[in-house]
Amino acid sequence: MSKIIALAKKELRSSFSSPIAYIILIAMLSLFNIFFFMIIDQNREASLRDVFQVMEFMFIFLIPLLTMRLFSEEKSSGTIEFLMTAPLSNTMIVLGKYFGVLTFFSLLILVTTIYYAIIEYFSDPDPMSILSGYVGIWLEGAFFIAIGLLTSSWTRNQIIAALMSYFILFLLYFLSNFTQYFTGNFESIILQLSTRTHLENFSIGIITPADIVYYLSGIILCLVLTRLSIENRLWQ
Amino acid sequence: MLIANNVCKKFGSFHALDNVSFEINKGDIVGFLGKNGAGKTTLMRILTTFLPATSGKVMIDGDDIVKDSLTIRKKIGYLPETPPLYDNMTVQNYLKFAAEIKDVAINKRRLQLAKVLEECQLEHVKTKTIATLSKGYKQRVGIAQAIIHEPQLLILDEPTSGLDPIQIQQVLALIKNQKDQRTVLLSTHTLVEIEQIAQRVLMIKAGKIIVDEPLDLLLKNKNDRQSQPLTLEQVFISHHHEMMQDKTEEYDQAHKKVTYE
Repeated sequence: MSKIIALAKKELRSSFSSPIAYIILIAMLSLFNIFFFMIIDQNREASLRDVFQVMEFMFIFLIPLLTMRLFSEEKSSGTIEFLMTAPLSNTMIVLGKYFGVLTFFSLLILVTTIYYAIIEYFSDPDPMSILSGYVGIWLEGAFFIAIGLLTSSWTRNQIIAALMSYFILFLLYFLSNFTQYFTGNFESIILQLSTRTHLENFSIGIITPADIVYYLSGIILCLVLTRLSIENRLWQ
Repeated sequence: MLIANNVCKKFGSFHALDNVSFEINKGDIVGFLGKNGAGKTTLMRILTTFLPATSGKVMIDGDDIVKDSLTIRKKIGYLPETPPLYDNMTVQNYLKFAAEIKDVAINKRRLQLAKVLEECQLEHVKTKTIATLSKGYKQRVGIAQAIIHEPQLLILDEPTSGLDPIQIQQVLALIKNQKDQRTVLLSTHTLVEIEQIAQRVLMIKAGKIIVDEPLDLLLKNKNDRQSQPLTLEQVFISHHHEMMQDKTEEYDQAHKKVTYE
């Protein structure tokens, strides 16, 4: 466990030492602030439901920028040899990197709790629905990071890693738009695979086991595939 | 210390290593020679568990490199051809990180860090970011990470490549100092360096070990057949010259055939 923490700390430190992380942080928070005030001004509701929907859409663009370097950079700079010849299992390497970026992402989400403080100050929102919305958006971000980690393990080129993440994330996000072309079981499978279906429940205050299982199984699947990917070293 | 038995490595249809077998004794400094593409880095990557062999067996200090991979890694220090450094970290933080992931006990980390900083003469740059260091310093940081966990076997892939003559001497002195503490396998293209520090020579050609002898014996054997004393460089060239001659003859014969036809 201490080695996973050491790896996560190293990842977190390198996130903060890279200008990209600060650009993402500033861009994300600026966009969220703009949308937060626009949505509150238009809806006049003491709720963050629509804000969470916007956050989800923004994460599709921004999370691949955070994750694209995770393995690609190690491969292109040769530091992967340092990690993979140290007494670390491949699972430790994957988890260390994952938790490092997840911590960065969690800090970002933590900053946005200021929105709750603002609406709480001016009105009387339902704290449970906002809390469930935050749980949902955090789980969604954690899933997106796992996808980004996986695509980063496929290539030594960071741009290609980001593009592959975009492809998968857009597919998962817009999948629910294609339900009209299918019927029966196919329709419900496609609906269940789409990330939008699951976040909607969280953002209106409903936490169901099915939604939690969706995100957790997605995260675990991606982490297992990442481990297999670095084990096979096909990128060599 | 190290026993390699019939190690083969194939990349598709290409045989990078072909039945490589050798032994290295404890405390030896072994020079590993070969032309570019001969299989040196592939073999080193297999010994350090980075790459799996297609077939064959390697035992290090009684442990199998496949079955006991994590145990083996604690016993090995490895410096790849390009030092594996994180440019945005300071020397001190990088070495602390290396100590953490290489299982150096918490109560020994501070001591080990001070020891390698002194041994590799890095104290005065310990707070500097790695990206700002010269190539010589980067190489020394690379060696420091390889020895911070007191490995029994140190594997160095071209540690002096791209350094100026003074930096080369500093790095060689550092490697020579390891002699009493650990076994060293060192690859380089500068054969004078091997003559300076190695006791034993392994030479690889097209994935096969062609020379495995103590250095003094190798030079002595060759000298017996020559009127003038030979250097390791001449021995190396003579081994590869034979191959070049064979190739030239093959080419000449093929060319003749074509001409006659």
